[in-house]
Order: sequence, then structure tokens, then C-alpha cells
Amino acid sequence: MGEVRRPFFLPGGGAPLPNHEEFPSRLFDLAGQDHPIMSAPSTTAATSITCGNCSAATGGAHFCPACGKIQPLPPGTDYFAFFGLQRKLALDLPELERRFHSLSWRLHPDNFMRASELERQLSLDRSSQLNDAYRTLRDPVARVEYMLGLAGMRKEGQKKQQAPPELLEEVFELNESLDRLREARESGENAAETAGLRGKLEAAQQKFESSLADADQELTQVSAQWDRALDSGTDDATKKKLMERMNSILNRRSYIRNLVESTQKVLAGT
Amino acid sequence: MGRTVGIDLGTTYSLIAYQDKLEGAPKCIPGPYGTPLCPSVVSVDADGAIVAGEAARRRLLTQPERTIYSVKRLMGRGPADVQEELKIFPFRIDPGSTNVIRVRLGDRVFTPPEISAFILRELKSWAEDYFQDSVDRAVITVPAYFNDAQRQATRDAGRLAGLEVLRLVNEPTAAALAYGLHEQKRGRVAVYDFGGGTFDISILKLVSTTDGDIYQVLSTNGDTHLGGDDIDNTLQSVARGEISAQGVDLATHPETVQELRKALIAAKHELSEAGKTTVKFALPNGAVYFREITRAEYDGWIRPIVERTMAPVRQALADAKLASAEIEEVVLVGGSTRVPLVRRTVTEFFGRRPHAELNPDEVVALGAAVQAGILEGGVKDMLLLDVTPLSLGIETMGGVVAKIIPRNSTIPASAQELFTTGVENQTGIDIHVLQGERELAKDCRSLARFQLKVPPGPPGLARIEVKFLIDASGILQVSARDLRAGKQHSIEVLPSYGLDDAEVERILEESIEYAEQDFSERQLIEARNEAEIMLHATEKALAREQVEAPGELPADELRALDGAVAALREALAGADYKRIRAFVDVLNQATMPLAERMMNRALSTVFEGKRLDEV
Repeated sequence: MGEVRRPFFLPGGGAPLPNHEEFPSRLFDLAGQDHPIMSAPSTTAATSITCGNCSAATGGAHFCPACGKIQPLPPGTDYFAFFGLQRKLALDLPELERRFHSLSWRLHPDNFMRASELERQLSLDRSSQLNDAYRTLRDPVARVEYMLGLAGMRKEGQKKQQAPPELLEEVFELNESLDRLREARESGENAAETAGLRGKLEAAQQKFESSLADADQELTQVSAQWDRALDSGTDDATKKKLMERMNSILNRRSYIRNLVESTQKVLAGT
Repeated sequence: MGRTVGIDLGTTYSLIAYQDKLEGAPKCIPGPYGTPLCPSVVSVDADGAIVAGEAARRRLLTQPERTIYSVKRLMGRGPADVQEELKIFPFRIDPGSTNVIRVRLGDRVFTPPEISAFILRELKSWAEDYFQDSVDRAVITVPAYFNDAQRQATRDAGRLAGLEVLRLVNEPTAAALAYGLHEQKRGRVAVYDFGGGTFDISILKLVSTTDGDIYQVLSTNGDTHLGGDDIDNTLQSVARGEISAQGVDLATHPETVQELRKALIAAKHELSEAGKTTVKFALPNGAVYFREITRAEYDGWIRPIVERTMAPVRQALADAKLASAEIEEVVLVGGSTRVPLVRRTVTEFFGRRPHAELNPDEVVALGAAVQAGILEGGVKDMLLLDVTPLSLGIETMGGVVAKIIPRNSTIPASAQELFTTGVENQTGIDIHVLQGERELAKDCRSLARFQLKVPPGPPGLARIEVKFLIDASGILQVSARDLRAGKQHSIEVLPSYGLDDAEVERILEESIEYAEQDFSERQLIEARNEAEIMLHATEKALAREQVEAPGELPADELRALDGAVAALREALAGADYKRIRAFVDVLNQATMPLAERMMNRALSTVFEGKRLDEV
């Protein structure tokens, strides 16, 4: 028996998940195939895909246009295409939900209880993809992250938590407050000091939350620029720059969110 | 193909229901005692025979060591998980239990799915008697907060009872289906489901679309070990404390403990209606435990239990990104929502009166029947979109859990991960799948471990894509693909808890000797008995008629009778119980005029010689 090791994760193979950056051990990316999406095709280049049942061309549709049978997921289908949407970052959420419901009616395993084993499996594949896609696209941050992942822009080295310089002072102070709080607890409750530290933590928390809101706002702005760039057919270099900006905002945001969460945990514990 | 039913496999009671096609509404099926509530109790005779339901419940008092209740608490759990329950529940866990709990009942040993299967079989027989037809497929409900192992155990129980489990449906969601159908509700609904042993809260959005109504679960939370049982145990610990203060130790009297439990449950029920109640209980030493309990005192005892339900409620709302005021309807489900303190707490929290129009004991089974109707194709305008209650993750370096499917994801849900080797000539990659919200693997629930076998080679060469898929029943499926070889990669997933497929097969085979008779065989025997009785009675009547009133039988009537007798005899030679029953009915009809004349004659004999006013 050979050596058995813990797994290495290669997240490039699957759909990027919103929380990926929290697990640095998973950033071992070998898959990194670049997807040619700079010119943002809205549907897969899948005209050669044919129906397994009647051999008609399906173009990657959910159901065969000729015989109506549910179709396997073609490789490389993206979440936007799944909903018949362009890879734009501004989404009409009520419309997305309407499409989600309409596709749910057609793809859900409930509809395939009496179908063949193969069709039941395809329904499971497609409806899980539908749910995964909806979960990702309805969240504006996960949506940007996913789009960048498709473009090969969230690989190792491009995806890490970055401490925003303007917060460094607060972070140092926060760490100090946390240490003192720990000491105060260990040396028996010093009510006055604990209360003081709590106050500091709450102030820091407010600051972090407003930074998070700033990052979100900035992401929204750059997302809008991206959509406009797509509409006006801007050159690839400009698009690449926009994606790099979004990537860096995501990295910063992820750092701030961790701060918010860990401060929340400490506050809940006092 | 037999019938499809909906089953609520509860901690205290279980129910079976079906979707009535004519009325377009679900209905609960009553058992032999007239009630649809089947006590979730199983008992084993000295000769090894098994009874479930009311008959088993009665034995709790006479043969407690051969009888088990609340087995749902043990489903999908390991021996280490249930140490707390063992302090309170009289479960006799077999010392040989490893990853699956084995319970001792008399001199036999069973796994929890086997015990649950006895309850399911009892319910199945109720439905088969009711339909006069076989029942072979079911939708079974589970607490929304059940993890993968608990769900698998429930599905195994169904299989062991001879049922194809079409779907597991979460109990609060099933309740919402039944309510939605009943009230035509729309909007955001909170279902607060406080049962005998489990607590669930689900937040749903009910949407009308052009295709029909969608019941979309936004979030769910709960506690799979919090229920009316805990209220009973609180009452018991108070009473036993006071009884031991009277100098009586009940530890050596298991029968008395069960009787006391019964008396206290009755007191609990009374306290849901009245402001106070009195417990009068005869002790083994001849003394009497006499105790008046007021509602206020009772509320004080159980407040901590009721409070424990509120943390999951807050979490579910937070996950749905809703404030309590944004909930438009609140629905109460489960027997424990009859407790006035529970109602008050829920009403105050949501600031609105909760709905409890439907019987809280029956509503889950009714919802299961609706889902059964949907899966059979009879109900076409309803769709349920449920979620997975717990995050799914895999262990990474340092024992940290990487979440791959977050909690409250709509199911089916999936995640793909790509794996490779890290060192020269590594032959396998260990994968540990977990469920839970904590960061470290040791704090999450272990679901399964498996090893991906890889051909030896330089590190990083292998490319194996593993797909984790949570199906519509909330159960995990794992598949793998070798991307370099471009083919399916076989894996064997060993569940951390519960039975593997081979074990289920083995139990199924073993259980045949104990299994009840096959339904149609039983029907055939009963129909033949009925036919024999009918034929015998007809013969006797004809012979008597010839003695008492020779020549009076009209020729056409005699011809009809002879024809019916011949047809029944012919059916009796076959093995179709429905055909036999049908000709029993024909013969029954044909003998009516004869029976009527014989009755009249008998009456006139009795009244002969009597004046009218004497009659």
C-alpha cells in the first residue's frame, strides 16, 4: 500500500464558490484553463452538440428542440448561459428569479419520476446546476467572483486577502485590544477595563463595516463600467484592467469581511 | 403496481396518509383503534414476535425491557452521540455497537432503522387494509434539521419495511404544503414545528407562477434533540426528586417509572387546557405521590426548553435575510405547540397570531401525501423547492473544513472539486466529507470517508474531479471522474454512521422469516375463507328451504342461485382474491330474496297465535 495523503484542492475545475478565499490551503490551482470570454459570448459555442435521443442539433439547450428530451450538460456551460443571460454584472433580480422558477418547473426531479434512469440523472444534474447557478448569480459579490473565475482571473496569486493600507492602523489597534481583553479575562474579570475594551472593539467594528460598505459600492461601480465596456465593444486590454480592479477589490473585501466576522465573534463572547 | 402513501414517522406518533384523487385532498388513514395516530413504540414477545403501535405501547407498562419508544432519537447516530439520551431514556444499547447503534429488546438485538421499519410496516398494513390493495411506495417525512446519516437511516427503514422511498420531505415543508393547499396562502411564511423529539423552523416563500404554486424554502434551522420528550423528562425529574424525598427509590421499579411517565404526560396534556392539575400516583411501597401543579409553576419548569427553540428561529430569519415583522404568516405544527407557553412565546416573537387550524398532529402526514400525489403525477400545479439544512464540506490540511455547499442551498445542489497528488508515487487521496457549520473537522459531523485510488506518477499529474451532489431528499451522492483518462472513476463511499447497502440487504433477507405474510397472499386466504362460509351458508339455507317450504322457491331464483354458486366455485379454484370477493358479492345478492322469505317465516312462527296488540 502506497502513501496516502490529504487532498490537494484544485478549485479551478469546479464553479468558484463565494468563500474560496477563506481557505488558503485550497488555492493550489493547476487547472487554470483560460476561458475565452473576453468578448463575452452569451451562449456556449455548442452548435455541434446533438441530442442523445434523436440526434437533432440542440445548441446546448436544456431540452431537445426536436424530441423534447432533457439533455446532458455540455462541458463548459456557464451559469449566465444556463439562464440565457449575457455575462453582465448588473442583473435584474426579479427577472432572474422568474427564470429560476420557470426552469425549476421544467428541470426538477419531480417531473422525471417515471422517466428512464438516464433522464432522471440528467434532471438531477441540470436542476442542481440550476440551483447552484441561481445561488451564485443572485449574490452580487459571488457573481463578480464567478465571472472573474470564468475569465481565469481568480487563480493562485490573484486571489488572496489583501489588507487595505488605510485600515492597517485599526488592525494593529484591534490586535492590541484583543490581547488586552484576553489578559483581562484570564486575570479575572476587570469590569471597567473589559467595558473600555468592548467600547474600542465596537468602534473598530463600525469602522470595518463602513469599509466593507465602501468596498461593495466600489465593486458596484466597477461592475457597471464592465457592463458598459461590454456594450461599447471596448478593447481587451481595458477589459483586463477592469477585471484586475475587480479582483483587487474582492481581495480587499475578503480581508475586511474576515475582520468584521472575527470582531463580531469576540464581541459576542464578551 | 401498488399505492403510494405519505408517512410521518414521528418520535412519539406516526401517521400514514394518501392523496384522495376524487376530492383532490390528502387524508389520514385510521388504524384499527379508529385513530390515525400510531404510537411509535415497538415491542418484542418472549417468543420473538414483534408488535408495533398501540399494542406495543400497552406493553410499555407490563414489559418495559422488551419495549422501545422514541427510537427516532437514535436514528443515524453512533453510540458516542447518545450518551446524554441514555441518562434519560431507557434505551438498552448493545455493548457490541460500533458505528451503528444496536438496541437490545428482550433477547434480540436491532438497529434503529429496523425498529423504525416495524412501525412503518404497521402503518403499511393499515393502509393496505384500508385500500384492500398493496402499498409499495412512500414519501416519508424527516425533521428539516436531520443530517445526512439520519436521512439515510430513515430511507433504510423504509426499504426494510418493503417500501420504495420516493422522497424524504422535511416536516415543516410538508406542513406548509398541507396549509398552502388548505388556505391558498401566499407570501412569506414561518413554520414552527415542535414535535415529540425534534424542533424545526423553516422560512418559506409561497409564489404563484403561471405554471402553478412554488413553495420555496428560504432557510431552515432546528434542533434534532429537542421536543415534548424533554418536557416529559423535566416533569419526571421533578416528580422523581420529590418521590425520592418521600423515601422511595424508583430505580428498581422500571414498570412504575413507565406508569409515572404516563401519569405525567396526562398532567402535561391537562395543563395545556386548564390552569392547574393534580397528579395522584400510587407508589410501590403503598404510599401515594400527591401533587398539584399550577400552570405558572409548569411554565417556570419548561421555560428553558421553550427558550431553546428561539435561537434556531433567529438564525433562520437571519439566513433568510428577513426581520420577524416581515413574516406574513406563522404556522404551528407538532403536538408540543399545544403548550400555551409555546404559543405565547411564538405570538410575542412574531407579533402575530399563529395559524393552528389544521390538526398539528396530522398536518405533516397530510403534506407528505400531497408530495406523494405530486410524484405520482396526480398533483401537477405544486412544486416544492427545499434546502439543505447544514453546510457540506471536506477536510483539508490542518483539520480545517472547506465548505463546498453552504447551508440553505436549494436542493438538488452540487459542487465539483478537482484533486491531485502531492508527493511522488502517491497511490491514494483520502477524502473526508463532513456536515456542519464549525470550522474544524473534529467539530463537524463526519458523513463518509473514501479514498481515490491514483496510478503512481509524479506529484500533481493525477486529475480527479469529484462531484458532490445533494439530491432532492437531502442525501449526498458522490461520483468521481478521472479527467486525464476521461472516464468515470469508481469510488466506494463508506458511511461513517449507519448501515451500508450490504448490511441492509442482509437484514432484509434475515427479516423474511419474521416478516408478515405477503399482502395479496393474506387477502387471498381471507377471501377464500369468506367464500367457503358463504357457500356453506347457501347450501344450508337451500336444504332448509326444501324441508320447511318445499316447492316454493321460484325457478328463476333457483337458476340465479345455482349460477352464482357455480361462478364462485370457479373463482375459488383460481388465486385472484378480487375475483373471489366479487362473486361472493354476487352470491350474496342472489340469496337476498331467499333470506328475506326465511326471515319472514321465522317471524310469523314466533308471532303465531298472538294478537296484534301483544306483539
